[in-house]
Amino acid sequence: MQVTPTLTEGLKRSFTVVIPAADLQGRCDARLAEVSRDVKLPGFRPGKVPAAVVKQRFGESVQAEVTEKLVQESVKSLLEEQDIRPALQPKVDLVSPGTDGKDLEFTLEMEILPEIPTPDMSGTKLTRYSAKVADEVVEKALSEVAQRSRKFETVDEQRPAVKGDVLNVNFVGKKDGVPFDGGTAEDVNVEIGGAGFILGFAEQMEGMKPGEERTITVTFPENYQAKELAGQEATFEIKANALKKAVDPTIDDEFAKSLGLESVEQMRKLIAEQAEGEYKQLSRMRIKRDLLDIMSEKADFEAPQSMVEAEFGQIWSRIEEERKNGGLDEKDAAKDEETLRADYRKIAERRVRLGLLLAEIGRKQNIQIAQEELLAAMQQEARRYPGQEQAVFEFFTKNPQAIESLRGPILENKVVDYLIELSDVTDKEVTPEELADMPDAD
Amino acid sequence: MTTKTVLNARKAAAGLSQEALFDVLRAPLITEKATMVSEKNQVVFKVALEATKPQIKVAVEKLFNVKVAAVSTLIQKGKTKRVKGRPGRRSDIKKAYVQLAEGQSIDLTAKLG
Repeated sequence: MQVTPTLTEGLKRSFTVVIPAADLQGRCDARLAEVSRDVKLPGFRPGKVPAAVVKQRFGESVQAEVTEKLVQESVKSLLEEQDIRPALQPKVDLVSPGTDGKDLEFTLEMEILPEIPTPDMSGTKLTRYSAKVADEVVEKALSEVAQRSRKFETVDEQRPAVKGDVLNVNFVGKKDGVPFDGGTAEDVNVEIGGAGFILGFAEQMEGMKPGEERTITVTFPENYQAKELAGQEATFEIKANALKKAVDPTIDDEFAKSLGLESVEQMRKLIAEQAEGEYKQLSRMRIKRDLLDIMSEKADFEAPQSMVEAEFGQIWSRIEEERKNGGLDEKDAAKDEETLRADYRKIAERRVRLGLLLAEIGRKQNIQIAQEELLAAMQQEARRYPGQEQAVFEFFTKNPQAIESLRGPILENKVVDYLIELSDVTDKEVTPEELADMPDAD
Repeated sequence: MTTKTVLNARKAAAGLSQEALFDVLRAPLITEKATMVSEKNQVVFKVALEATKPQIKVAVEKLFNVKVAAVSTLIQKGKTKRVKGRPGRRSDIKKAYVQLAEGQSIDLTAKLG
């Protein structure tokens, strides 16, 4: 193997590698001999196929296989010899494929990982925010639960429906006289003047008596999720079945029992625990962000362009997607293409740097991921698809590289934990609102 | 077979058209035995059942542009096989062992023109 460096500039490295034809030939012949031992051809007993015939039949594919293996091996040994850690998979280009007795020649392009100085993070000042769950929050959540499980009682009155009443109706939605998909329903409870339907739908039912029929016309909003209806006018033929009144259940032990709990006390406790968990998560996110902010200031090494490019490509395709759906951030929408690109490029660079830095710290501190932690992450992932846990587990057992993708976040969290432990953390209590009011997460 | 009929057969074979030559030779036979006899500069073909030695000689000479010293043929009878209990017969195959003249060779991997 003959290696010629062709480029050493910043983080970029290029090499031209030449492998003598004799080497390639030898490897090919060895592989052919191997193949001939267990190849089955009609007209030949197994293992008795002459080399010439095998070569004629399999020569090309064996050559390709051997070339690929040889290239891979030489790349690996080259990286080891020169002590290079590439940022991404090196790019290999075959210059001459080494057929017809010529030498095999290929070029190698890559970016190396920069020297990553690990900043001294001990003594970093961090604030851990925490918040107490207020009683009002619990009460509010409790009443929300009650409202969600409220019942409708039929009112035996022949009076027109007023605001706040609930009408049980059947309706048929038509566009240009033709019923459209999803526009027809029966036995629906509509709160007059209530939210949840398209504008004007519930309002125009005001004054209907049970048994009355009415046709109303509404216009779908421009941003309606069904594209063919957005901005269109449609008529609804409505038949009122009954007048109903919403009754909020009283919050007592009885109500708790109907939800499968023991008492109101237990409900309160559950809600409080849930809220506390949310606050904890927020608090952790915040301290992690602060930490990363400090780190990104200290991380002033050059980030490999190819990695930045890859990260940016990912962000950008997401942005494009959002733009197509009209879901772009207002702030982003106001910027022109160029500034937007520049902004996200910066974010991509920051992410790459932080990722490299975290990985490097993890490597230096020898932070390992235990098998149980991976398993826990897998379980969490599986829980996101209720009913299909088994399938998710199967997926992970069949695709080891999918498990690898879980590794990244775990390692990141562990490194962050380690760094937080090193740092000088002050606890500070804030209100839940202040806690939630985080600076923009990137 | 008299000398006259042999001569007639040779004459008839020499007059075969290009298409007919391709019909005579069906496929090269590549087996252990065929590779073995290739050391003696013999090539083996599957040929049409009705092909004659003079025809095979002419076909090989013209299609591969070589000189043929001798042709021996044989008919391998098809085996009687049973499919769902009913007897059936595989087709017979005629093989031709073609002895090339000294210094001649055929590359069976190359495409025929």
